[in-house]
Amino acid sequence: MKSVRLDRAEEASSNGAVPPVDPSKGRARRRPLGGPRWVGWTFVLPGLIGLAVFIVIPQVASLILGFSNSTLLGGTQFTGTENFIRLLRDPQFLNSVLVTAIFVLVYVPANIAISMAMALWLKTRIAGRNWLRVIFLIPALSPMVANAAVFRLLFQKDGVVNQMPAGVGLGPIPWLSDGNWALAVVIGVSIWQSFGYNMIVLGAGIDSISPEVIAASRIDGAGRFRRFFSITLPLVSPALFFTTVLTVIGAWQTFAQAYVITGGGPGNSTMTIMLYLYQTAFTNDQLGYASAIATVLFVIIAIFTMFQLWGQRKWVHYD
Amino acid sequence: MKSRLKNTRRRGRVVVSVVVAGVLSLGLAACSGGGGGTSGLDGNTLKMYTWIGGKADTQQWNDYIAGGKHADPKMSVSFSGPPIGDYYTKLPTVMKSSSAPCLLTFQNGRVSQYVQGLEPLADLAKENKLDLSAYSSAMLEQLSVDGKLYSIPFNAGPTVILYNKKMFKDAGVADPTLNWTTADFIAAAKATTKNGVYGFAIPQASNPISTLMAADGHPWADKNGPKLDDPNFRDALQLLVNLSNKYKVAKPLEAAAGGTFPDIDAFSTGQAAMEMEGLWDLQHEQQALGKDNVGIAVIPSKSGVSKGFIGGSGFAITKTCGDKEKAFKAIEAMTSKSALEFVTKSQASVPARLDALNAWSTNVGSPQSAAVIKQMIGDATPSPVPSNQAQLDTLLTQYEVNAFSGKSTVAEVLQKVKAGLAQ
Repeated sequence: MKSVRLDRAEEASSNGAVPPVDPSKGRARRRPLGGPRWVGWTFVLPGLIGLAVFIVIPQVASLILGFSNSTLLGGTQFTGTENFIRLLRDPQFLNSVLVTAIFVLVYVPANIAISMAMALWLKTRIAGRNWLRVIFLIPALSPMVANAAVFRLLFQKDGVVNQMPAGVGLGPIPWLSDGNWALAVVIGVSIWQSFGYNMIVLGAGIDSISPEVIAASRIDGAGRFRRFFSITLPLVSPALFFTTVLTVIGAWQTFAQAYVITGGGPGNSTMTIMLYLYQTAFTNDQLGYASAIATVLFVIIAIFTMFQLWGQRKWVHYD
Repeated sequence: MKSRLKNTRRRGRVVVSVVVAGVLSLGLAACSGGGGGTSGLDGNTLKMYTWIGGKADTQQWNDYIAGGKHADPKMSVSFSGPPIGDYYTKLPTVMKSSSAPCLLTFQNGRVSQYVQGLEPLADLAKENKLDLSAYSSAMLEQLSVDGKLYSIPFNAGPTVILYNKKMFKDAGVADPTLNWTTADFIAAAKATTKNGVYGFAIPQASNPISTLMAADGHPWADKNGPKLDDPNFRDALQLLVNLSNKYKVAKPLEAAAGGTFPDIDAFSTGQAAMEMEGLWDLQHEQQALGKDNVGIAVIPSKSGVSKGFIGGSGFAITKTCGDKEKAFKAIEAMTSKSALEFVTKSQASVPARLDALNAWSTNVGSPQSAAVIKQMIGDATPSPVPSNQAQLDTLLTQYEVNAFSGKSTVAEVLQKVKAGLAQ
């Protein structure tokens, strides 16, 4: 039998060297760019190395360290599941899970709702809407630490924000000395920082909706609310799904806002999991225990993401 | 044909595997420890990792290096580092890295957490015939762990009260004396609290507590760590809370990131008439408020016989340093009498060598401030530095806010801190 390289099959076929192959089968077997296999690997390699060095190796190292009592300067002894058992009894860690869960529950819906509202508003024919998009995106482009430092000054007892209630005779609000208010500040600043990005993504989704579909719904007599819930929302659902997944992941990993504005206080009212992880590793010098926290956080995020991926079948429409 | 295809694929896989392995091993090699004779050096220049919060810190280290060169022209040291708020957090990672420096600096004697990566200096001092008795013994004790010396002090940082002389004068308050009491201090704070300006700016974390305890002769920590159950510890924190909530002479503490200094900001911007800080802050305040407008007073005590709380800073050598002998000679040069005298020409920090104190009095201090420093250094309350101080400071910063807001009592705050330390 005459052998022929798969990537030269088309050429050989046209020469009559081999019988023509069924195009549907051929498409499945041919490499899109043709050429030897190593060419493909060469293209993939840089990304693969980045993935291995910056994601896979640290992740595996962190997983392994979670089973040890490693410190930054000292040695490492494997301690089995001790760190994970300790986590279940650690009130500081359990509190940080609760604080982060509250953060996720408030921040994610508020962020998505505001982003969607702004995207819909900017879809209307208002003057300078492209400039407004850029202006609303600026917080997302500026460094979180710098923003948070400014907000800390604004929310101090004698800061600018408290001058407003003082102007109408109200006492100062204890933004940074009461736990509930402090968490509200952290959530508020986080929304301000990040809604612009989601607004752009959702805006692109809304812009891609065919005007004919909207026009047809109008002819059928659909009002604003009906159009939003029955036309816009289903058609923008892929973008909504994308932003929700990323926002939930980011929310569980919240760090800079709490670190810079409140340092986790007052008490531990704004102690997120990431901040507790950081303090455990770098202030308390318990690298092994911090790695165990990182593993648990990874599992929490993975569960939430898988749940979202599973749930998308019911509400995301790709057609 | 099958075997040829297999061979081609196998060769491809081998090539890819070799390339991946090569690149990964290169990356890992870059991440691995340096070691060898040049570790911590850049050519002939010793690398020093230290805190650099701005121009003032940069100037300070340039001055110490210039002072060292003054004593030993061959000495060559370069420096880099983050602001003090991030310094101790990043330090262990830097000490472990392939680019670990030869020299490190420590403030307030905070060496105990890092001794696993530090070179003990007693043998090097002996080999180089360095006379350790020239340095303050309280500082040498603070920079030692289990009897081993890990750092040679370059400045003595007794915590003092810095006050705004103009505000005192405008309020008709006399300059504090060497034997002023806590009652005198509160009276001065009350008199200077007016028009939105507070009499005192409260610092965060453990330093004001340890300083107030030391003033009355009570060490704030022992070999077991901070003495959170000591009634004097509770009284010191209660006094700080009272200054805000009872006497209304200080702004209450609010939640803030660790490593920030709202008290210093308040004093240097004229929003507070007094602050309690290490003398390292003197020069910064003189620049902000005018050189002759910043006075120094001893820490007020109940009895009027105030003792000092020493927080000396020193140089240390990493275990990974490629040339420890050279590093030690650099430390010797930068902490020599002539170097520290040279530094007093431009820096307000008090030299760690007792024989260089006269130069400080001449170049920086008035006779009044020199008397304050002599009392604070000469009669200091010795106290170890607990290895978990960073953790303690973080927990205190978080929880003490609840005592100022009235949500918790001081005793409850200390219980929370104790529980956090036990984790």
